[in-house]
Amino acid sequence: MSATAEHPILDPAKAQPFPVAALPVLKNSQLRKNVAHAIDVIGAKRTRVVLEKTDWQALRASASRIKDEALGNLAAYLEQFEERCTAAGGQVHWAADAADARRIILELLRAEGADEVINIKTMTSGEIQLNPFLEAAGIKAYETDLAEIILQLGEGEPSHIVVPALHVNRGQVRDIFARAMGIPNLCDEPEALTAAARSYLRQKFLTVPAAISGANFLIAETGAVAIVESEGNGRMCLTLPRTMITLVGIEKVLPRFEDLEVMLQLLARSATGERMSPYTSLWTGVTPGDGPQKFHVVLLDNGRSGILRRPKERQTLRCIRCGACMNNCPVYRQTGGHAYGSVYPGPIGAILTPQLEQLKHAQSLPYASSLCGACYEVCPVRINIPEILIDLRAQVTDQERGTAKKFFDPMYVGLRGANVIFARPWLFHAAQWLGRVGLKFFTRKDGWIHALPGVGAKWTETRDLRGLPRQTFHEWWAERAADPSHLSRKDKDAAKVGHPQVSESLGRPGAGAESDEQRADSLILPGKGAK
Amino acid sequence: MSVVADSRRLVLERIRAATGKSAPERGANADAGLAQGYIRRGELTVRARHERFIERLREYDAEVVECSPEGLPSTIAAVLAASGRRRFVAPPGIPAAWYVEAAWKIEGFECVLDHGLETSEIEQAEGVITGCFCGIAGSGTIVLHHSACEGRRVITLLPDWHLCVVRASQVVETLPEYFEKSREQAAGKEQKVELPRLVTWISGPSATADIEMTRIKGVHGPRFLNVILVRDREQAAGNREQKAGTEGLEDRAQGQ
Ligand code: SF4
Repeated sequence: MSATAEHPILDPAKAQPFPVAALPVLKNSQLRKNVAHAIDVIGAKRTRVVLEKTDWQALRASASRIKDEALGNLAAYLEQFEERCTAAGGQVHWAADAADARRIILELLRAEGADEVINIKTMTSGEIQLNPFLEAAGIKAYETDLAEIILQLGEGEPSHIVVPALHVNRGQVRDIFARAMGIPNLCDEPEALTAAARSYLRQKFLTVPAAISGANFLIAETGAVAIVESEGNGRMCLTLPRTMITLVGIEKVLPRFEDLEVMLQLLARSATGERMSPYTSLWTGVTPGDGPQKFHVVLLDNGRSGILRRPKERQTLRCIRCGACMNNCPVYRQTGGHAYGSVYPGPIGAILTPQLEQLKHAQSLPYASSLCGACYEVCPVRINIPEILIDLRAQVTDQERGTAKKFFDPMYVGLRGANVIFARPWLFHAAQWLGRVGLKFFTRKDGWIHALPGVGAKWTETRDLRGLPRQTFHEWWAERAADPSHLSRKDKDAAKVGHPQVSESLGRPGAGAESDEQRADSLILPGKGAK
Repeated sequence: MSVVADSRRLVLERIRAATGKSAPERGANADAGLAQGYIRRGELTVRARHERFIERLREYDAEVVECSPEGLPSTIAAVLAASGRRRFVAPPGIPAAWYVEAAWKIEGFECVLDHGLETSEIEQAEGVITGCFCGIAGSGTIVLHHSACEGRRVITLLPDWHLCVVRASQVVETLPEYFEKSREQAAGKEQKVELPRLVTWISGPSATADIEMTRIKGVHGPRFLNVILVRDREQAAGNREQKAGTEGLEDRAQGQ
């Protein structure tokens, strides 16, 4: 593995632009194989359990309506959640940004006298970069999800939101565990590796006084919190310690208890291709004699309220973090997750990260997509990701256009030039003439341009460019009108009365076979003018 | 403390500014028919529902046996004996009949009832025996509400082996039917509606696929999940919903 792929930077403020960050991965065939294998396996399982749900589309539609309702009245639902959770013995804290959340959590842990804490995999703690902060404050955080242990012990970074270590294969896991756990003769069977992780963590579960978790859902109606997981590390964390801290984005609230019946049917199927994940836990505040006796919820804004403002972008906050969009993304398949420079990779990362950063960072991410729409199709809450990507691209462009740095950028210079040229026919014709003359030098005998100098090389490096025809459409049209011998009789008649049949049949989908032929002819004619 | 209050106000203000709603006028509890069009009630016959339950449980590596209500104690004893384990823990609310026969038949058998056991004591147990609130056939799920018959959350977590007794009348077909059942049960109580405070949905033993997507049974939770499906009154198909509801209540009553 190259150094960059091994130590990617998942801080949008510091990460390299996507096309640069993706390069080392594209050269790392092992990594790409690992990623492709993992998403193929999940993809096949997902397809199977989704197809057996005949009401899948109705579930998706319901889920998006429920989420929209929650987001449209977010303040009210959050207040309701706060009230009910508090009544049940929990304590609710509000964090306006990452620093706020880190400070609150540190204070809670200090009050508990904890110098160790166990974590259930949470996206939000990655988002606010909690672990390094706690470490600096003298509190050691232990990840408990198998994939997160692999990453923590191997000092790697997550590359997927559901299977964060999918880029690491068994041999690599073996090496990491053998070194970090001091078991030199560990074999590389997944079963043995899993057992090693089990015994490594057991003592921690039983002794560490505090746990930090994320949450999949908050229920406003009851003040309950729900977590979906597979391994049981989540249940350990939310049952054994004295104190439990749940850090959760404000967008995770659902209005009613029954809303879970929709979400739970969608989540596991989309995420891991299971009908239900092995463990789904729901708890409400504090229960005497069962589980942690101190329970805190930290509601994290950190840019989310800003996303609420634009109706189109608001969809982003429906996300239930299932990962289906990345599993089905042709770009993610090639680059893996690290290139996205954030804990949120793939299509959802491409829309979420730039918005959380208020477009101050991660401006390259909206372009990290082919806009094929596969993400939209699989998304269980029907987030129209391509639509948001395009909208964000427009915002990035608007923002860049005004900056001094981009003033001399070839693209913007070119577009400004085009703006002037397209507005003036004589300039346009002159430019066409100049272009044809200029490009002639680069056009080979086969009619194709294989290499261009300067900025043009960016195009021809990866694909050929069709040479320009000798005649422009305007020229051809003028010539054709002047010399009616080119035309069929019907066309001639039409030309006489001033109705060019050709253009009419172009615009009419129901036109007969004859005019279809004409249409085809007319389309290639300008090029053929060269004969 | 003022910083804290400030953050709260700030976040709520930002949200209200963004959503354009200034007060909690309609928001909370507005049931606007948001969730609709999907399948709520199952359509399988009673027998087919039970078969699906068994099939889906097995698909996710759970062991399932069936028995009649009269045969339950001896079936439990047989399953416990076959497990090769001797030390068990159980919630205080389970019927004594569940383990008396086992205690008599299995040498060295021990079943500790959880009257506030220490974690270290639970950690000693090799297995756990519980009832459940409900079974969901469609996903092969057992649901615990952690009543006296289902136990505290920790007892079904630390032991490596879990035996769950599910009565056929407790099995519903779809997840929405479970939610309906929970809501009905809550409404049926004397006091005001109280939905379950603690719920654990268990679908197969603890598992991971984090290493090369190879499914491995048992990471931190129990590695083995065993289910005994008790065929109680499955002939009473006609009024199954009603029965299922009362069964749940009886379960709780037994435990209290
Ligand atoms: S955007 Fe949709 S598909 Fe992607 S993680 Fe979120 S919910 Fe899943």
